Amino acid sequence: MNKRVRTLGVVIMCLYAALFVKLNLVQVFQAESLNDRPDNTRSLQRDFNRPRGDIVTSDGAVVATSEARRAALRYQRVYPKAELYAHTTGFFSFTLGSAGVERTYNDELSGRTPSLRLRELTGLFQEDSSAGTVVLTLQDKVQSVARQALAGRTGSVVAVDPRDGSVLAMYSNPTYDPNAVSNNDAAAARRTKDLLDASPEKPLLARSYQDRFFPGSTFKIVTAAAGLTSGKVTETAPSYPVVTSYTPPLTTRPIRNFGNKPCGGTLFVIFDRSCNSSFAQMASEQLGPEPMVAAARSAGFDKVPPIDLTRPVASTYPTDFGPVVRTSPDGVPIHADTPRLAQTAIGQNDVAATPLQMALVAAGVANGGSVMRPHVMAEVRAADGAVVDKYAAGEWTRFVTPEVADVLRRAMLSDVAQGTATGLQLSGADVGAKTGTAQLGTEPPTSHAWMVAFAGPTGQPASVAVAVLIERVPGASDQTGGRVAGPVARAVIQAALGRS
Amino acid sequence: MRTATPELVTPAEFVRRRRRTTELGLLVLAGLIIGGAYALASLGRNSSLPADVGLFLMGIFGLVVAAHLAVRRFAPAADALFLPLAALLNGLGYVFISRLDTDLAAKQLGWTLVGIGLFVLTLAVVRDIRVLQRYRYTFGLIGFVLLVLPLVPGIGRNINGSRIWVAIGPVSFQPGEFAKIALAIFFAGYLMDRRELLGTATFRVGPFNVPHPRYFGPVLLAWGLSLVVMIFQKDLGSALLFFVLFVVMLWAATGRASYLVAGGVLFGAGAFASWGAFSHVQTRVSVWLDPWADPSGKGYQIIQSAYALAWGGTTGTGIGLGISGRIPYQETDFIFAIIGEELGLLGATVVLCTFLLLAGSGLRVARVAGETFEGLLAIGLTTLLAVQAFIIVAGVTRLLPLTGVTLPFVSYGGSSLVANYVLLALLVRISATVDQRPPRPVSG
Repeated sequence: MNKRVRTLGVVIMCLYAALFVKLNLVQVFQAESLNDRPDNTRSLQRDFNRPRGDIVTSDGAVVATSEARRAALRYQRVYPKAELYAHTTGFFSFTLGSAGVERTYNDELSGRTPSLRLRELTGLFQEDSSAGTVVLTLQDKVQSVARQALAGRTGSVVAVDPRDGSVLAMYSNPTYDPNAVSNNDAAAARRTKDLLDASPEKPLLARSYQDRFFPGSTFKIVTAAAGLTSGKVTETAPSYPVVTSYTPPLTTRPIRNFGNKPCGGTLFVIFDRSCNSSFAQMASEQLGPEPMVAAARSAGFDKVPPIDLTRPVASTYPTDFGPVVRTSPDGVPIHADTPRLAQTAIGQNDVAATPLQMALVAAGVANGGSVMRPHVMAEVRAADGAVVDKYAAGEWTRFVTPEVADVLRRAMLSDVAQGTATGLQLSGADVGAKTGTAQLGTEPPTSHAWMVAFAGPTGQPASVAVAVLIERVPGASDQTGGRVAGPVARAVIQAALGRS
Repeated sequence: MRTATPELVTPAEFVRRRRRTTELGLLVLAGLIIGGAYALASLGRNSSLPADVGLFLMGIFGLVVAAHLAVRRFAPAADALFLPLAALLNGLGYVFISRLDTDLAAKQLGWTLVGIGLFVLTLAVVRDIRVLQRYRYTFGLIGFVLLVLPLVPGIGRNINGSRIWVAIGPVSFQPGEFAKIALAIFFAGYLMDRRELLGTATFRVGPFNVPHPRYFGPVLLAWGLSLVVMIFQKDLGSALLFFVLFVVMLWAATGRASYLVAGGVLFGAGAFASWGAFSHVQTRVSVWLDPWADPSGKGYQIIQSAYALAWGGTTGTGIGLGISGRIPYQETDFIFAIIGEELGLLGATVVLCTFLLLAGSGLRVARVAGETFEGLLAIGLTTLLAVQAFIIVAGVTRLLPLTGVTLPFVSYGGSSLVANYVLLALLVRISATVDQRPPRPVSG
């Protein structure tokens, strides 16, 4: 009997050992994957039952806060600025999840980062919240001006500081009211979300960094960068023929200049006048695909920008131009798709860019060729105001060498001084720009009106780079971009330079 | 101090007094742990110490000291571990129930009083454990009647899909909780009578020497009984428990492994047949295999349990700081998941270890008792306790398909708590009885 008792004891031990092993699996080894399962709303419920940190602009405007409610969920997320910051803050809904800063900085806002937790530990037993306040790089005055200047038109405004990648303003239309989507009343929130999802305007989509458009002539900055980097194009040579249109090899379809005007000359001249013929010739016969692809890549195309927001998309530039058919007189390979290459040189065909990307191109030019990582978080503060985290700025991609950047910068300054972007001239400031009018091939003609620019006090490094896009405006002349998008860019630059 | 004059006490008396002192010390320790947990639970929920923490501590100490004095009076030679371990589990369970539902906690407090009352009463009435052996058939009958009582029309109640409740007037209880103790007594008595016969292999079936089919009757009876429970009461956990109890006791009494094999085969066949025949059994199995096939329906409970355990991690969220209200039956069958969430792997392991220690103490008593009625009964009662805890924890952690039984002493539930205190009193009584005998040479 003793032996049997011992055997029974061993069996019971084994059973409990199995329980212990299983507990370890569930509570330790699989814990993270269980916590992260989409149908596991535990972390969310906890977040809704305690105060959440505010989101404020760098000039102190509160754009998201939590209000106590006497309800099952004890806090309701509220956005005092309604739709103005929707595409940056995103929303924070119990049933619909979250987006934007609410999502990317959820740990900070809910006080779950190690540094915030440490602070909470020192104040144990206090009602004091560990929730952190996220301070944005965005400035309320610039953002407000952007909305005002856009005046309800469909489009986007992005303003960044070229020196560190801080996003100063980012607004796009149409937008939505995050208050409605974040409503703790699940049914009401769902109704709003369904309406927004069904809208053909796609208001939930941030056109500034989640959608792509033909960049049109603004892409000529990248084409010029490819030419300058290859060494085949300089400020003085070559001088492109003054023609009304250019027909690339292997096709009979010409690429026309705006209004069929004769256009040509050296780099600054063709840049100021935005000569389609010259840039198309440069790309197809002088450079070939490789330098073009390399320049686009260096500018950030085909890479998702590392911005601290949800679901940013990469701008795209084609990489495959078909087999080599022959060689141009300059010794450049002519590919089967060289006609397409010629069109991409002027920002048409398969090129597509987010407004954010085009702002970063201007920023790269203004910052000596270096594109800094774009970001919307400036710092995180604890409840007592102490800074617990700061965004560490750094280079995202090197667009061009400082030497090439200097040439491009002067080309853009020249465009404002005497080219298509004269509307951006500001006293006491160095402003460089490139206009764009991306024809959409519709009848009557419509186009995306673009303006990308940088600006800074005279003689000082540029402190703001902007991209303005106004979609599907009537008309398609070389003046469209400057005329339509120019005033918006001007207003935003003035606000960013503190001159409104 | 009486112990200051050792020449006046016998060595046995000295051991007894030391045991009782140990028990008191451990009880105070358990009381302090429970009081601390109670205060932490309140801090976690309201960020303030409970107003009644002093009262609570006094209440705990009052209860455990009463039980302790009863042991001192009626079973002075008893093992020192049983009562403190049960008190720890009971108290911990109470803290979690009060953290989840204050109304239920008030009732549970009442049941604890009744439980400890019956514990004392059992110790007082059952002075000689062998008296029970004399009434083995009576207990067998009582056990059988209690077991099938819920099936009687008029008093049986279907609650949550199981027909395991009986309501007579205002009182409703689960007779199955008491039936298992009565049946353990019956089995122990019956098997002591028949172990010679049952242990003799006279009949060959294939490679096995088995006892004559005539003596197999009781096995088949127990099997049939557990099938009845499984089929008509839809109580898979209790069916499993009864069957394990009987097979283990049969094997312990006779030493014939063929009973274990036969029992396993029979249970497997019964389980397989009921899996094929009953949709609720199929549901349990499919939910066990893949709860995420129906995450908001049939799999909801077990998924939420896994989420609770995972949320707790190694150290837990802290008592009162977990997210409750997600798991159906969190105060009864699933209380272990809440403990795992708020006390983490460490706390859950402590609970498991407490049950292991209880089982160890029970088996130690059985070993000392040897081949006697009380030894067999100790094995049966220990098996009941250890296996019941295993079945529910395995279900909650998805080690095995979920079969709803309570976690002894911890879960909310009057019948379960009171019955387990009676069970504990019997173990305490046996431990006190065997100790009074002259020590025997220990051999395999």
